[in-house]
Amino acid sequence: MKLKLCLAAFAFSFANAAAAQETVKIGVVQPLTGPVAYDGNIYVSTIRMLVDDLNAKGGVLRKKIELVVEDGACNPAQSVNAAEKLVTRDKVAALLGAFCSTSTAAMMEVARKHKIPHVTGISTAAQLTEQNNPYFFRAVATTPMMGAAFGGELPAAVKGKRFAFLVINDDWGRTMVSSYPKPIERAGGQIVGTEFFQSSELQFLPYITKIKSSNPDAIILAANTQHAVALSKQIRELGITAPLVGEGSWTSDSYLKLAGPASEGVYGLAEYVYTVTNPINEAFVKMSRDKLKENPSKYAGAAHNGIHIMVDAIRRAGAADPEKIREALTQTNYNGLVGNIRFDAKNQAYGQDVYLALIKNGVPEVVKTARIAKP
Amino acid sequence: MPDLSILGQHLLNGVLIGCAYALIAIGLTMIFGVMNIANFAHGEFYMMGGFAAFYLVSLLKLNYFIALPMAVVLVVILAIVIQQVVFKRLRDAPVMTTTLVTIGLSLLLEHLALLLWGPQPQAVPTPFPTRPFSFFGIYTTPLYLFSMAVTAALIVVGHVLIQRTRMGKAMRATFQNREAAALVGVRIDRVYLYAFTFGAALAAAAGAVLGGFIPVEPTMGGIATLKAFVVVILGGMGSFVGAIVGGLLLGLAEALGAGYFSTGWKDAIGFVAVILLLLFRPDGLFKRA
Repeated sequence: MKLKLCLAAFAFSFANAAAAQETVKIGVVQPLTGPVAYDGNIYVSTIRMLVDDLNAKGGVLRKKIELVVEDGACNPAQSVNAAEKLVTRDKVAALLGAFCSTSTAAMMEVARKHKIPHVTGISTAAQLTEQNNPYFFRAVATTPMMGAAFGGELPAAVKGKRFAFLVINDDWGRTMVSSYPKPIERAGGQIVGTEFFQSSELQFLPYITKIKSSNPDAIILAANTQHAVALSKQIRELGITAPLVGEGSWTSDSYLKLAGPASEGVYGLAEYVYTVTNPINEAFVKMSRDKLKENPSKYAGAAHNGIHIMVDAIRRAGAADPEKIREALTQTNYNGLVGNIRFDAKNQAYGQDVYLALIKNGVPEVVKTARIAKP
Repeated sequence: MPDLSILGQHLLNGVLIGCAYALIAIGLTMIFGVMNIANFAHGEFYMMGGFAAFYLVSLLKLNYFIALPMAVVLVVILAIVIQQVVFKRLRDAPVMTTTLVTIGLSLLLEHLALLLWGPQPQAVPTPFPTRPFSFFGIYTTPLYLFSMAVTAALIVVGHVLIQRTRMGKAMRATFQNREAAALVGVRIDRVYLYAFTFGAALAAAAGAVLGGFIPVEPTMGGIATLKAFVVVILGGMGSFVGAIVGGLLLGLAEALGAGYFSTGWKDAIGFVAVILLLLFRPDGLFKRA
């Protein structure tokens, strides 16, 4: 028995060594448990599907891409541990993740310490790209960038002047409340109420009643799937008919299915909507429908951007060497799902499109497209 | 009078949520009073009740009104298994041991739910129309009224069972003095089993009914447990009436505090009340019977 075990371990170590030579390892930290586990799992199932596809087309540098996925649980400490493990034990050449901005802020220091390139496609807290961290790249617009692109359009889009905020109490919600009002006020609107809710909350009746007393023409929300579903249902159940404008999961299949009729007439502000018309997106939507049985959400879109930008950089670097990949990432000029993406001097993406979509009969229709300007 | 209608709306919200808090807290306070266990896994019964109702209605296409009691039965079966396998063996264990076990159990059940049913939030489909109706400017839906009626009815049923039945009497006797109750022929094991499963059943009922408008997901039990503990400490550990009054008080205090003070303080209100109470009246508003 012991001999057998030894042999097995021996064989296994050889297999590992052989695999290490043949693959390019990319580490992924996403919340697979915890409060945003649902959206984190979508990212991971999508990126696995995309890597299978890339590998079927020959991988990168004539090697297979190997994903190593760890659970960060939207918890900074766990995300740091996960990233440390990926770098020191699995020896990944690059990192993707995390989800929540606070976790990403913690994880990017691991990337800096070990000099491993790190790309996030989801975390939008503005200060992440202000840390002078040359190893960290953000392939998504920040909330202030979204606010600058769309805030001024909202009064005309919802045909109203009085706006109330009901947002999650974290970096994201707080940034939203500080960056949207100025463009809204410049366009003739006014802010009549601001409320924050905790991420553990699923029962919003007191918040909604308070918002109702300020009599808004539209409510601006920041929420991921489980909050978005509860919010839109409960807002309608308390008799508010004003349109909702949401950043977060408001255009995803899961939201539309769970919220049902309460999702009609909701405006979603999103970095990606599956109804965008371009050949790359059409292929992506088809693959998602075939393999994952759903339309890709914006988190799936983030997975698509993240893995393709990373693989593109590895290809241009010519080797799975972290320093060379980092250099290649700074020269990114990637044409993908949402248009052209480049990184500025702070490694913040710009040039891509963002969307204002209106839910009609359960389908998010793009009503306005804006391009993220170079900061 | 728009201001009065807003006040009415806050009061209605407070009673609706307060009834749910009370229903969850009753079980917690009973388990504590009778078995001397601080059950940190109690919110998980609430979560399981929601998932059971969701699967019975949406997957097995059962009638909603049949699915609700069946969901409770399923959770009761789980509670019986947990009681017989885990807590029966820990009958004479110190409180620290049982508390740690319930924390472990809570993690186990939460992650089991995550593994079995995934992290996506679900809504229990109901036959009620979702369109709200209003009276005097206060909006509500048939489902909200139904939830309030069911939770209130279950609270009354629970109260009658405790006060009027033999088993209720045995529970109260055990609560007052376990050894003396055993001496006069009360079967302690059976009392424990009834108290534990009855408490789980009430929490499961709350989860099944509220699942119609509050999303059901694996992590929902944690906050429910915390709120229930606030209620139980407010009302007095082990006090049935205290749990009911404490639940309604917490619901109303949260609704009015959020409405007229600040929504940022909504969750803090309950905990501040608990700290004040522990400082000035550590036995709770209602002393142990």
